[in-house]
Amino acid sequence: MKDLTNDEPKVIDEEMLKQAIEEQGPQGQAGDISKKEGIQYEDVLQLRLDYRNILKIFHLWHFTSLTKLQLDNNVIERIEGLENLTNLVWLDLSFNNIQVIEGLEALVKLQDLSLFNNRISVIENLDTLQNLHILSFGNNAIAQLENVLYLRKFKHLRTLNLAGNLICEEESYKTFVTAYLPDLVYLDYRLLDEQTRETANTKYKYAVEAMQQNELQEQQAMEAQKISNEELQLHKDAFVEFLNGPQLFDSMFDEDPDGEKLALLPGMESKMEALCVQIFDAGLTQHAQRTAEVESFFTCSHEAVADNRQKAAQIAADFESSRRQVMEMQQITDVELLEDNISFCQEQASQLSETLMSLELQLVDQLEDIFKDFERNISDMVGGFIEYVHTFAQCRDLENQHHEQQLEIALATLEKVVKNDIDCYKDTVTNAVSASHDTHLLKIDNREDELLTRINSWMSGLLKSIHDEEVKRNRKRVSEIRNYVSYVKDELEDMRMSEHH
Amino acid sequence: MEVLPEVDCEEDVTITDDEEDDEESSLSNIRITHTVTHIAKPRPQVALSKCPSSYKENSSQEKLMAAMAENFRQQYALLYPDRKALLLCPVNECSVQKFVSTTLRSTLLPYPELYDWEGCASFVADYLSLELLDPPFELPKQLSSPTWVLQTQRGTCFDFSIVLCSLLLGAGYNAYCVSGYATKEMCLLDQSRQECPLLQPQIQDKTEEPKKPMKKYSVKPPRDLHSNFERRQEEKQQAEAEAATLKKQLDAERLQKERERPPPDPLRGLRVHCWVLLLSGNREIPENFFIDPLTGKSYSTTDENFLGIESVWNHQNYWVNKQDCTFGCNEMTFDLGDLSKWEYVLCGQSLSIISDPKTLEEPEDEEEEMDELKVFEMPPSWVTTIDISPADMEMRYPGGMKVIEYRKAKLEKFAPYLLKDGLVTKLTTYKDLDCTKASTIKEWFKHRSDHLDERELHTDSNVTTEHFRPGRSDALKYHRYVTLVPETERQMDFYSHIRTDGLARRIEKPFEMTETFENRTDFLFYRNAVYGKQIKVIRAGEALEQRPLQRVEERFHRDHSKPASKDVAERIFVVSDRRIQVTFHLEDDRIIPAWLNFIKPKEAADSQKAQAFTPQMVSGFQVDPSTKPYTNLQLYEMLVELMREEENVELHIRDSEKEVRSILSSREKEDSNTDLLISIYNPTRNEMARLHMEEKERMAKEKKQRQKEKELDLLAPSQVRLGLPEVLTSQDALQLKTDCLNEFKQQLFNKASLIQSRIEKETEELQKKQLWYQKNYLTMSNEDEDDYLAYCSDAMFRIHVLKMRLIRHKERAPQKYLALEEKLKRHPRLASHFL
Repeated sequence: MKDLTNDEPKVIDEEMLKQAIEEQGPQGQAGDISKKEGIQYEDVLQLRLDYRNILKIFHLWHFTSLTKLQLDNNVIERIEGLENLTNLVWLDLSFNNIQVIEGLEALVKLQDLSLFNNRISVIENLDTLQNLHILSFGNNAIAQLENVLYLRKFKHLRTLNLAGNLICEEESYKTFVTAYLPDLVYLDYRLLDEQTRETANTKYKYAVEAMQQNELQEQQAMEAQKISNEELQLHKDAFVEFLNGPQLFDSMFDEDPDGEKLALLPGMESKMEALCVQIFDAGLTQHAQRTAEVESFFTCSHEAVADNRQKAAQIAADFESSRRQVMEMQQITDVELLEDNISFCQEQASQLSETLMSLELQLVDQLEDIFKDFERNISDMVGGFIEYVHTFAQCRDLENQHHEQQLEIALATLEKVVKNDIDCYKDTVTNAVSASHDTHLLKIDNREDELLTRINSWMSGLLKSIHDEEVKRNRKRVSEIRNYVSYVKDELEDMRMSEHH
Repeated sequence: MEVLPEVDCEEDVTITDDEEDDEESSLSNIRITHTVTHIAKPRPQVALSKCPSSYKENSSQEKLMAAMAENFRQQYALLYPDRKALLLCPVNECSVQKFVSTTLRSTLLPYPELYDWEGCASFVADYLSLELLDPPFELPKQLSSPTWVLQTQRGTCFDFSIVLCSLLLGAGYNAYCVSGYATKEMCLLDQSRQECPLLQPQIQDKTEEPKKPMKKYSVKPPRDLHSNFERRQEEKQQAEAEAATLKKQLDAERLQKERERPPPDPLRGLRVHCWVLLLSGNREIPENFFIDPLTGKSYSTTDENFLGIESVWNHQNYWVNKQDCTFGCNEMTFDLGDLSKWEYVLCGQSLSIISDPKTLEEPEDEEEEMDELKVFEMPPSWVTTIDISPADMEMRYPGGMKVIEYRKAKLEKFAPYLLKDGLVTKLTTYKDLDCTKASTIKEWFKHRSDHLDERELHTDSNVTTEHFRPGRSDALKYHRYVTLVPETERQMDFYSHIRTDGLARRIEKPFEMTETFENRTDFLFYRNAVYGKQIKVIRAGEALEQRPLQRVEERFHRDHSKPASKDVAERIFVVSDRRIQVTFHLEDDRIIPAWLNFIKPKEAADSQKAQAFTPQMVSGFQVDPSTKPYTNLQLYEMLVELMREEENVELHIRDSEKEVRSILSSREKEDSNTDLLISIYNPTRNEMARLHMEEKERMAKEKKQRQKEKELDLLAPSQVRLGLPEVLTSQDALQLKTDCLNEFKQQLFNKASLIQSRIEKETEELQKKQLWYQKNYLTMSNEDEDDYLAYCSDAMFRIHVLKMRLIRHKERAPQKYLALEEKLKRHPRLASHFL
């Protein structure tokens, strides 16, 4: 209470934090131990900083694993400095001077938020806090009933306190809140009974239904968007996106200023599209084949690893239990027998290390074998696809053909129109037509190149990642074995030493 | 061999209810004092007066049939002088000749178990007891009706077959009675050389798991560096050794069989037997086969126990076998329409059922008599409907029990509710052929209130195993024990899904208890406690004998909500050593788990302070050296938690011990005094249900009675005045009637005068009020005037209503009077006087 007499507002500082932690941390023997050891701010789970006349939140960024923070009964004016406390579940900011809700975006795990007795007039900036269960906005300055609608997006909200706000004086306050927040269980310290719900539902039936309808539509739209995105992703994974329609063809003519002027020959578009679709279909099927191949490789290699791991774990567990028996013999007075046991155990330990290592080596060999197979197969598959993709050559042929025809027609037309000065126009026309042709060819080439580079990079990336993973796994296992064996040997040596003394 | 108890079988066979009780009481000695004999008592006499007329005389059709049969017999004797006489028209229990086919009475009884042939066959085998043929190579002289056989529950193999065939025909099977020859064992119902069917191991259909398809990238197994040659040599040696032992075994078996072989039967091939043939076709029977009615077992038609067939019959016809049976029934065909193999007695439509269409045209030119009688059909059965009461059905065995002896085994069967302890089947197996040294005793129970289902006792090891059905409050499922004394070796299995602690099994050994659990929310699945020597513990002022805990081990399944390195897999509390050992689960890609060893600090004693926690009390291994080691605070908190857990664990173990003791004591109680559960749907046995039903009936009756009484006796008051004469004279009746009418008249009159008087009263009051008004109307206030006017209109209305009622009453009164007069005229006690 002495803090209250001292009227001077404070900022949270090191000293205050230390004092609070010591007061609130473990007591008794545990407290002694923790004091001796020093307290790590990262490990503190709960912190209470109430009645301290705090004006500014500061110095809290170390408390990364904090789940419960009480800052009530202070003079805080702004919510700030909480960005690092991402594990917070409970935050109490009641009885302060906060005017605007802000700075809470990072606290996505928050379930219980109290802003009781502040000066808030608008409920806002809480969109990321989807886990909210309990919300307290009592004794604030909320005057607009529409603020409640904002709370509809919190699907887990069950308890809400708005008592002591201006909106509570409105006659329809309770029914309005009940109708628009149908999942609410407690409102303003009271259980919402059936009767209230019923009257609320009848009163706002149409309004709520309309709102629900809108929300549903939005949701559906989002889902549709998601599905189409997924589809596109699939196509991208198969490296054949935008080839299932006239997109390539369209793009060929989009960036071709001359082409538009030149009349398009019939048949070209449909033929082009058919070719694209052909590539597209092949791409999808080959993609499926590749995924199946990759999957089968992974299941097999995982199986082998799991199998090996199980065997090794069994061997290690057997050894461990026999070792413990030896360790328990410490009480034996017969020095020689103990010595014998220890040396036997040491021998066993080196044997164990050998067995485990050979098992690991065996696994490495096996995995290498299948990896080689896999590498060969997958590169064959990719090669096959690349070969198939040379269908683009047909596109080019088509384009060439088209170009020739176009040129021919253009010249013929030219001849008809202008009989005399044919030569001076001829160049212009020919240039225009061939420029258009070049653009088209470039487009096709670009698309093909893109496809090829991407599939090759995918393959090399995949193979590299598999290889890296395997190396990592191997290192980990080897270090594990070495670590264990050295631990065992140290222990045995210690035992022997203590015996000799 | 069929064994029947020495029951004092009542002479008349209709066992009445009160006699049943006597029988039940005498059953306790029955079980011990049975002798090995077949029924040798005199046949119960037929009460001729009780038999229906069809039993005692032949109808005209039956006479005709008998004549035809006689004709057939004569011709048969002429054609086949070497063959034995046929069973065509034996006498029935009333000494009247009846044709065998008419003795069959196809019947379908309303018991679901009798809807298929297995049920029928085992029922007949269980329900009847065998009377041997005397002599065994002659056909019986008498063939009783199935109703009589079922009533007496005894009969020859022919009676058995007739009953079974009747039931099978009723159930829609194509069944025939077969008269022929069989082996001695079959005829005498001697199963002492057969294995008990209950002992035969259940054939488990081994469905081998389909081998996993070799996947494309399956790793190659590591190269095998053993010599193939050595392995082959080893295999060879093993195979040789195996072959040698197998041979030895076979030899021993053969010798054994040799020794057990019965002496040759001098009457082989002559012993007459009767059994049932089921032909394929109906009711999805794929193949012809025989059923032996004495055992209820099925045999293939080529079985070597059946040595020959004379004739077969069903309810429609009779066929004589013309095939050679020198080598048994191996090569018999059962195409009854084949005239070269079977000779029929009756030709006609009935044949079409079983014969080929082409044989249908032929039968005309067979016999002279047949010509005129070609559409003669088998007369309907003379037997009355076969009926078996539910009580008899439940009793099933003659006298409620049956004993069958098998090779090295004895099977006793009892009807449910017959024995006080609910025993229904008891199988004793012996070590020797003479059945003197029992090796196991297996008992099956039904309707026991402690839900005991099965008990098996091995006499060698003295181990008892018990199986329980679900429904016990302690959820016990299985119990294996030597004695019911606690802290000895035993195993208890439980229905774990019923128990709140998920306990599935508890195995006890001296100084050890192991419990396994299923589906616990704390993932515990194993707990093992090791005890030390018993010591005295003083708790709550009582000295208790308690075994101190030395070591407790608990294991847990993986809890995926925690990281593996923080999820405890095993906890070992070494109580005697003051140590606690915690092993964590393996991480996903590790082979060595992390563990921690704690040494418990000493508690505060009288002289010493409690030992403070120091980091030296903890040792352990961490797989990954790069992870942050535990802080001292964390370790201390863990230790405190573990010490608390240790106390909890001890409490759990003591609770388990307590539970074991309570289960054992309750088992002891249940075994010595068990009740049988009676379903509420069993009104004959369920006393409560019956009382309830009776009470209901009584209530209904009383209600009816009361309703009857409610109808008032019009004459009663007048009759009382006359002094309640028993019989009314006509004068009295007249008097009664006039009295009654007069009284009613008076009543009507009284009512009219009452209404009249009310009218007068109302009018008077109104007049008074009017007078008062006329006097004071000048000085009255408006309110009073209103009051007055309201009153006037009210009174006028009342008077009007009363007047209406009076008019109505006057109109109605004569009608009512007449109605009463009419009613009195018809009154049962007066009617006779006014006719």
